Amino acid sequence: MIFNLPDLGEGLAEAEIREWYVKQGDIVKVDQKLLSVETAKAVVDVPSPEAGKIVKLYGNKGDFIKTGAPLVEFEGDNGSVVGKLEASSHVLKEDNVIIGARKNENEFIKVLPAIRALAKQLNIDLNLVKPTGSHGEITEEDVRKSQGSDALHGVRRFMAEAMSYAHQEIAAVTLMDDANITHLSGNADITVAIFQALIHAIKKEPALNAWYDSKTKTRILQHDIHLGLAIDTEEGLFVPVLKDTHQKDAKALRSEIDVFKKSVRDRTVSPNDLKGATITISNFGMFAGRYATPMIVPPQVAILGCGQIRKEVKVVEDKMAICRVAPLSLTFDHRVVTGGEASRFLAAVIHYLESAHD
Amino acid sequence: MAEITLVEAVDLALAYEMQADPSVVILGEDIAKNGGVFRATQGLLDKFGPDRVRDTPLAESMIGGLAIGMAIEGLKPVAEFQFMGFLYPALDQIINHAARIRNRTRGHLSCPVVFRAPFGSGIHAPEHHSESTEALLAHIPGLRVVIPSSPVRAYGLLLASIRDPDPVIFLEPSRLYRFAKQEVEDNGKALPLDKCFTLREGKDITLVTWGAMIKETMAAAEVIVKEGIDVEIIDVATLKPLDMETILSSVEKTGRCVIIHEAPKTGGVGADISAQIAEKALLSLKAPVMRITGYDTIVPYARLEKYYIPSVPQIVDAIKKTMEFA
Repeated sequence: MIFNLPDLGEGLAEAEIREWYVKQGDIVKVDQKLLSVETAKAVVDVPSPEAGKIVKLYGNKGDFIKTGAPLVEFEGDNGSVVGKLEASSHVLKEDNVIIGARKNENEFIKVLPAIRALAKQLNIDLNLVKPTGSHGEITEEDVRKSQGSDALHGVRRFMAEAMSYAHQEIAAVTLMDDANITHLSGNADITVAIFQALIHAIKKEPALNAWYDSKTKTRILQHDIHLGLAIDTEEGLFVPVLKDTHQKDAKALRSEIDVFKKSVRDRTVSPNDLKGATITISNFGMFAGRYATPMIVPPQVAILGCGQIRKEVKVVEDKMAICRVAPLSLTFDHRVVTGGEASRFLAAVIHYLESAHD
Repeated sequence: MAEITLVEAVDLALAYEMQADPSVVILGEDIAKNGGVFRATQGLLDKFGPDRVRDTPLAESMIGGLAIGMAIEGLKPVAEFQFMGFLYPALDQIINHAARIRNRTRGHLSCPVVFRAPFGSGIHAPEHHSESTEALLAHIPGLRVVIPSSPVRAYGLLLASIRDPDPVIFLEPSRLYRFAKQEVEDNGKALPLDKCFTLREGKDITLVTWGAMIKETMAAAEVIVKEGIDVEIIDVATLKPLDMETILSSVEKTGRCVIIHEAPKTGGVGADISAQIAEKALLSLKAPVMRITGYDTIVPYARLEKYYIPSVPQIVDAIKKTMEFA
């Protein structure tokens, strides 16, 4: 670019070069002084209009330069631009530029954003959902249908792990028998009665209120009775623990059970409330089921299940009688507990229930 | 093969086509003797003489009308407006005549004219040398709007524009004029109009851009690729007609899209692309389509210019937000 002598603001036709501050080959910055010129009125420094390398100076000290005539030539001819262009030695490499559309080889999942969000919320992998929409898209119904087949998470996942471990670990044997509770009224709190029967039985036969460490083959009999109560929910199995039940009366036990039922349902139960059981009770007979083989969760060594209470004809004092019967299933870990201990324990439970009062 | 800049590629394409086709003429303010305000027509007067390389008066409406007349009568004029901001006096000629001669004459006449203009900010020039009003022209039926973003595409797309039988607005991002050199083979091969150019293939997110914003978009991609996000970059190149096929096929693959343009957001071409994605690829979207654009303001003077042009961090941020969207 050639820099012409600008009008120095006085409307003068020419100026005399007094001194060059730069020479050919110099690299100058914007506004750096290039030279001083003398006009009829004053001595003025002329600043550089751009940054760059000076290729040529037009005129020497003492020469007169006309306004508008060439003064300095900068390297490169970038045009008479208003403003400044970046010039760079950068070399552009564009490999593998594709012109126009390429057909996608894979089919991609088609789903409305709202349904995509629903799937994420339900933790459903859209890759596994079969689309039935008219545009080949996954519908809300498709997502909801596949809900059952997703990978386990949360409480269900934990249940799967715990039960699998328990099954591998424990030498489980289940004893089954009935308790005749005809004498208890329909309003009696059977759950609390079973709790109390269990506490009574532990006092008679402490071997079932214990923890077993299979690695060190150590059995630790527990002095306190912390009762786990299995509660079934849609999300999976929860077992909150009623602490120190041996020190609590029926009323206290009932209110604690009610608090846990609520906190489990609304998921406010704290992790601490789910730890430390020394023995567990499972009331599984809500809908159906008389006897079962309940699973013990290590390190516990026993669990008592109670099935559906029913009426049944029994032989009582050599006569047929219609009785109310609570079917009991006691699973014990035979590595730690003997058949005799378990049998005595279950007998104590039955005895307590059959002699209990409302 | 020589390494040349984008502005040199424009000059090279003009020279090639003038040599190959005697009906090609060029005209504009200071384009002959001076070689053009950015030197895009340097040397052409010496090569092809004053009959084919014409300086015009400083009257853009006249440049438009003159070029249209030449085109209708069988020449292939390439007219230069010194800046996009100077094109507006010729809009009546362009919209009312160039764009609709073919339609108005029921196909008897066509208007094979190319209107070239540098555009965009980043060169420290006043605001009317810096704006990006491509959407204004893309809105007009009957016009092609083409924007090259590299020397190779400037050469190939300008040849295609001159050879096209209908009017083409060829907008040259002045910020890229001398930004980089690239090997350009002077073989007279045109690149296809109405096609996007995919500059980088990726599977996670589609970045759609054009013109000078290719530069910031590529730089943002370099940052984000290091974080394990595999970006696809599409240079739209022809804004009208839009090659939605390429954009849709990419968005169907990635499910995510950020559109980057220097022009103001309101009524920008990005809005149209975003709307078309919503219409045609909604089922593939994993996140909202984002737009990173210039502000709805006049382009500021030099010192504030860098705050106007969408920046690399802005683009990186938009990519991250899009990737993190639930």
